Amino acid sequence: MDYSQFLLMKPEISLALTLIVLLIADLFMGEKSKQYFQPLALVLFAAHTAINFCDCCGGSCMAGQSEAFSGMYITSNIHVFVKNMLNVGTLLVFLFSFEWNKKENKEHIAEFYLLMMATLFGMYLMISCGDFLLFYIGLETASIPMATLVALNKKRNESAEAAAKYILTAGFSSSVMLFGISLIYGSCGGSLYFCDVVKNFTAEPFQILAMIFFMAGVAFKISLVPFHLWTADTYQGAPTSVTAYLSVMSKGAAAFAFMVIMWKAFSNIDVKSTFVSWTNILWWIIVITITVGNIFAIRQKNLKRFLAFSSISQAGYIMLGLMSGTAEGMGSMVYYILVYLFTNLGAFGIISNIEDKSGKVGMDDYNGLYETNPKMAVVMMLAMFSLAGIPPFAGFWSKFFIFASAAQAGEYLLVFLALANTIISLYYYLLVVKAMFINKSDTPIATFKSDKMSLIGITVCTVGFLFLGFISQIYEQIIAWSFGI
Amino acid sequence: MSSYEIFVIVFIMALVMVLGGSVIGLLLSPKSKNNQKGEQYESGIPTRGTSWMQFKVGYYLIAILFLMFDVEAVLLFPWAVIMKGMGVEGLYAVSFFLVVLILGLAYAWRKGALEWK
Repeated sequence: MDYSQFLLMKPEISLALTLIVLLIADLFMGEKSKQYFQPLALVLFAAHTAINFCDCCGGSCMAGQSEAFSGMYITSNIHVFVKNMLNVGTLLVFLFSFEWNKKENKEHIAEFYLLMMATLFGMYLMISCGDFLLFYIGLETASIPMATLVALNKKRNESAEAAAKYILTAGFSSSVMLFGISLIYGSCGGSLYFCDVVKNFTAEPFQILAMIFFMAGVAFKISLVPFHLWTADTYQGAPTSVTAYLSVMSKGAAAFAFMVIMWKAFSNIDVKSTFVSWTNILWWIIVITITVGNIFAIRQKNLKRFLAFSSISQAGYIMLGLMSGTAEGMGSMVYYILVYLFTNLGAFGIISNIEDKSGKVGMDDYNGLYETNPKMAVVMMLAMFSLAGIPPFAGFWSKFFIFASAAQAGEYLLVFLALANTIISLYYYLLVVKAMFINKSDTPIATFKSDKMSLIGITVCTVGFLFLGFISQIYEQIIAWSFGI
Repeated sequence: MSSYEIFVIVFIMALVMVLGGSVIGLLLSPKSKNNQKGEQYESGIPTRGTSWMQFKVGYYLIAILFLMFDVEAVLLFPWAVIMKGMGVEGLYAVSFFLVVLILGLAYAWRKGALEWK
């Protein structure tokens, strides 16, 4: 075996090392030194993030794609970039949860960090897969610790309910997906490598069936309608920082992996019908996802539930990037996930901050927030504007690019429907703004001072979704790294 | 005769043998009924209570730890068979695997999963 192949897996190796060091540290730390675990975890993970970030941006760019382990593991600049995005997002989640860990999660601080990193490791593998098996292993590594994280607040019944729903749907979806993968193995020449599957994928009915099973399994993870039913309950019951992680990182990683697999394994260029068949299915899924997510979001009174439905409709927008099959499609999708990461984490940062201080998550509890906590209210408003896609903010540009890429493929009706849905979404995002700025309340959330860590996180998010749209180099660089079918 | 025809004949014969045997048994055998005969077999101990009851979560922990070593043994057997052929490389791979597993055990031990409370 050629051990130099491991050099390609730099992000995975540094993450695994961080994880193992923290695990050993947790084992041997005494009762007194337990308080240093959290700062240690933060510093180590920040170092991991910084090293990989420098590696991605500074010089050591790969030309094209490289493979390791005979095509099992694939990496390129765009893969590394997506991993870096996930790193930054996870770091932000760690910052938001610092105070919550200290107060409410004293007994399981180490587990929180270790499980988060384990899921992240699974996502890395998912992103870099060149084979259905590695994808499956990555998916399971990402979703089994996730269920534990959802149940972390084990004294609360809701948390247990959320975890039960999550683990049951995750198990069900992965069994459906495994069945699909086994059919693919049987009908595509006895190989699970994408490059072999695509050669034998001729869109026979049997293969289409296999592909639909596979798509259904992944759609559970990205929570696309009609596989979204677990989302709201799980998001509501999970600890808020875990919800933030679930709604951004888990979705973004699965969406990227989904795109790579659909393009690499199911798009035989010689047989044009293969591409047409799955884009037709996806067309309907996107329309239903965006519409259902939006309509259900309107009636939500709990902000976490509200953001769950909003994230369902956002997942629909993310899927628009798959329709074109060009480098622009991939680039706009990665850019969308990047902007969505900062925006949604900003919103969740504020929600978790307020929940820590006052224990309130209802939309009505936010009435009059502007009078007591003006800065929080303004940042929340900006995040909502960005999620809705109002022009100067990054959310507008990401929507613009992803619509443009779908329109390039000639999907005008789809883009029109998505645009119409943006207007619906504007209504419910503005409901939150209205609650904070216009509605009066006799018992508003008391003025509070948030902790430093959350403040740093919220500031980074705000800077991200305010200025990301203006730095065009980022988008151009992503496009330059992306590839099409 | 093609192989499919042979298959069909064997299939029908198998059905006839199995079903016929049990039908003849049903018709000819003497019958006696009592409650004990209807119970599940529990190694001779009479069953009592329902299966929907709470039991100590400690059983789960022990079961999972047992499973860990069970799987470990299953994975070590094939290596043991071709140990010489794999050489030093195989030894490294297996030691890495063992170290990871032992780390897991150490974690469980340290967190008190092995204490019966």
